[in-house]
Amino acid sequence: MTRTLVAALLGAALLTPAAPVLAQFKPTKPIEIIVHTGPGGGADVLARFIAQAVEKEKLASVRMQVNNKSGGGGLTAMNYVVEKKGDAHAIAIFTGNWLTNPLTQAEAKVTIKDMTPVVRLVLEPAVVVVKADAPYKTLRDFIDAAKKQPGQLKQSGGSITSRDNVIRQLMMKQTGANWAFISFPGGGERIAALLGGHVNMMVIEPQEAGEHIRAGNMRVLAQIAEKPLAAFPKVPTLKEAGVDIPYVPQVRGVVAPPGIPQDAVAYYEDLFARLSKTATWRKYLEDQQFEDGFQRSAELSQFFDQFTNRMREILKDAGAKVVR
Amino acid sequence: MDVLSGLIHGFSVAVAPANLMWCFVGCFLGTVVGIMPGLGPAATIAMLLPLTFKMDPTSAIIMLAGIYYGAKYGGSTTSILLNVPGESASVVTCLDGYQMARKGRAGAALGIAAIASFIAGTVGVIALMLISPPLAKVALSFSSPEYFALMALGLAMVVLLAGKSLVKALLAMLVGLWIASIGTDLFTATSRFTFGHSELLDGVDFVIVAIGVFAVGEVLGNMEQREAPQVLPVPKGLRNLLPTVEELKACRFAFLNGSIVGFLIGVLPGAGSTIASFISYGIEKAVSKHPEKFGTGVPEGVAAPEGANNSETGGALVPMLTLGIPGSSTTAILLAALILWGLKPGPLMIQDNPNLFWGLVASMYVGNVMLLVLNIPLIPLFAQILRLPVELLYPIIFGISMVGVYSVSGSLFDVWMLSAFGLLGYLMRKLDYPSAPLILGLVLGDSMERALRQSLMMSQGELGILVSRPISAVMLGLAVLILLLPLFRRANAWRVRALEENG
Amino acid sequence: MKSVANGDVVSGGVLAGLGVFVVLQASRWDYLAPDGPGPGFFPLWYGLVLIALSLVLMIGALRRRPADSGHAVHWNEVRRALLAWAALTVAIGFLNVLGFVVSFALLTFFIVSIMYRRPLGFGLAAGLASAAAFYLVFPLALNVALPTGLFGF
Repeated sequence: MTRTLVAALLGAALLTPAAPVLAQFKPTKPIEIIVHTGPGGGADVLARFIAQAVEKEKLASVRMQVNNKSGGGGLTAMNYVVEKKGDAHAIAIFTGNWLTNPLTQAEAKVTIKDMTPVVRLVLEPAVVVVKADAPYKTLRDFIDAAKKQPGQLKQSGGSITSRDNVIRQLMMKQTGANWAFISFPGGGERIAALLGGHVNMMVIEPQEAGEHIRAGNMRVLAQIAEKPLAAFPKVPTLKEAGVDIPYVPQVRGVVAPPGIPQDAVAYYEDLFARLSKTATWRKYLEDQQFEDGFQRSAELSQFFDQFTNRMREILKDAGAKVVR
Repeated sequence: MDVLSGLIHGFSVAVAPANLMWCFVGCFLGTVVGIMPGLGPAATIAMLLPLTFKMDPTSAIIMLAGIYYGAKYGGSTTSILLNVPGESASVVTCLDGYQMARKGRAGAALGIAAIASFIAGTVGVIALMLISPPLAKVALSFSSPEYFALMALGLAMVVLLAGKSLVKALLAMLVGLWIASIGTDLFTATSRFTFGHSELLDGVDFVIVAIGVFAVGEVLGNMEQREAPQVLPVPKGLRNLLPTVEELKACRFAFLNGSIVGFLIGVLPGAGSTIASFISYGIEKAVSKHPEKFGTGVPEGVAAPEGANNSETGGALVPMLTLGIPGSSTTAILLAALILWGLKPGPLMIQDNPNLFWGLVASMYVGNVMLLVLNIPLIPLFAQILRLPVELLYPIIFGISMVGVYSVSGSLFDVWMLSAFGLLGYLMRKLDYPSAPLILGLVLGDSMERALRQSLMMSQGELGILVSRPISAVMLGLAVLILLLPLFRRANAWRVRALEENG
Repeated sequence: MKSVANGDVVSGGVLAGLGVFVVLQASRWDYLAPDGPGPGFFPLWYGLVLIALSLVLMIGALRRRPADSGHAVHWNEVRRALLAWAALTVAIGFLNVLGFVVSFALLTFFIVSIMYRRPLGFGLAAGLASAAAFYLVFPLALNVALPTGLFGF
């Protein structure tokens, strides 16, 4: 009798490690995708596409619904995610802003480290363009011209913490050249400034530049991507063009509220892994000219640290006030 | 494809039964969205995007464009009837439109708004069709110094909006400038005046201030008296529900003014319909034979801004369609829609997709007619809202204000700010501070500061850049002239008095 | 019955105070950044003009005061308006607790029956009817979310 009991207990003890595998997370109600922009913004469009694609490819047993929490420079959405602690039915789309904004904004009450990393999805490449009738045929030409007239040449772009300026800072540091950065709040105004001849150069997403290049209004000097872009076979990468800077990508991915069970994270990792292999997703990446930057949560966590540390240094060099 | 054959082809596309239906759907939705404060065409278009994937792109753009310019028609309704700006550009319509309603001419005001919108909208489409490419090139030569001059001109309009006390008008404008600078500075990522609240990092949304100061402030003022008579007399009879011939004649210049100013300003990426309405209103007042009557309910004061904000849509489509550059948040979403449907907006888009361009242009003519036909019969219906006893109307206005503000970003913080601005609006009324300059300062302050800093960055600190370029020099010169007007007037009055005294 | 001139003095004082605040804050930011004017540039200037114009207003009002009776302020009217404002603010405070529908119904009831002295039943009916109308139009018909509270709507 005692031996049977011991055997039974031993058997139970042996089976227990297998228990987590058996208790798999399955969503039981619609999954909320939180985004920090209003309808039509970059993260919103991506989230809606994901919801649609997941439904189309039947990757989840429940619907996914986009919840717009715009405002506060992205902080409203971030705060909301952390408030949803423990809720396994909420995920959020993060962009590079989520990592950099808290560095310069004292008002930020949470950072990306307060959330659960899930997956990294896409990297957005960029191209360096000038107006078609500019005297710079290669990137070298521009850099040399900038060295001859320090601070005179101008680049249009977004805010001081945007990727455009990050690239500029890295390039200036590497080459010793110096040119001015003029911020415009909207993409339209930046392009208009370039096409109107009011600035000399800009860093722009290939998708935004595509048509202007095709119409012959813009010339591409270099591409900034991990792997050379299919749409620009003849354009040198920054490194090939003679400027060897670390690749600081524009990223988008998924995070989740803190304190959710490990198997929920595994579920989402898996979901997005399967999504990224579908033809629908591949076509989307191709149309948008994104790069596949898929990373699971462990790698993503490391990426967050690397990226944040690097951004902190770059922002300090750029003269922004870094608060954490 | 030249203009005439393009247009004929376009009409054949636009009057296809399916496209007519989509045009109507868009116009109708746009009108509803425009009437509701806070809910804007940009958000509506974005939410409808998934539905458009299965549609033909031409039909889809016809519908979405209908929402865009339809909203401009609807925006005047609540501005005139309730002093609640339906969307940002309708703020200027409140100034004279609501006063006309107080005098019993609500129907006439609504009618003039609809007619001005129709005329200006049509002019905008014609201009879009005929002069887009050369105009787009001219628009590109506009950059920060010119924008600064334009904003300075707009702010100089405060002199024209001043009324009795210029000092108070300027003070109101300065407060508006201060509110505009709340938020994150674009150039240095520094937070200004956020008092530690992350909700203020993106600044104070214009809608909150406008609805608070205008609508809530007005209601609070009206609630001072318990036994107030019907504050807004209900127009009776068809004659009173529509504008009279005299009123329409008075608006002749305003129709023209609104159409041209709105379109030209719309073409500039980044300058919006609000500044178009203000400048058009200012010009109308400046050339009027009775400028002192503006603000008390003159029909031209409704026709000019309403026309401007409608033809601005035509203007905003110019850079979008000819260059692929979005000029405002709504055109940015339309652009995103075009990309999602597989089209490539840019300089070659019209060439590659003549069907879409001409079909869209033709549908805008059709749409404007539809909107006129839709809106005019609704006027008597809307005017009936004024029949409500005030004790019911005022809570409803509070309710609409709260909903309108909350719908902007779903934040209760915004609704609290509505309360604060409502109190501010009331205090301004009691102390005789005009509210239009506050709004003007708020709208322009941001853009003007940005344009100035961008200009100085472009010129490495040389202020001369602002006057060395012809266009900006001219506009700045005009601004200075307008600012000196009160001095001229006073000097003139003194001179006249001196002459009279000397016999 | 105080005159408007007093109001000018007080409001001028408040605005001058705002101007001083703005200037002080602006001095903590960079007047000139490496590439161009910094965040402190504009605020400093409009802050200074704000102070200057407020003083002009105050001085003008103080000089006018004895001669100008202005138009009198009826304090009981102001009290009513402030009461209405307080009611609105309290209703906003309840938005998250009771939800929009209930808070708005209460606000309407308060305005109709208490402030405008209409019969209580009428006020109640008006409150319920308006709140219901808002509920039908906004969350149901237009899909615009309204704050919800304990009751779930």
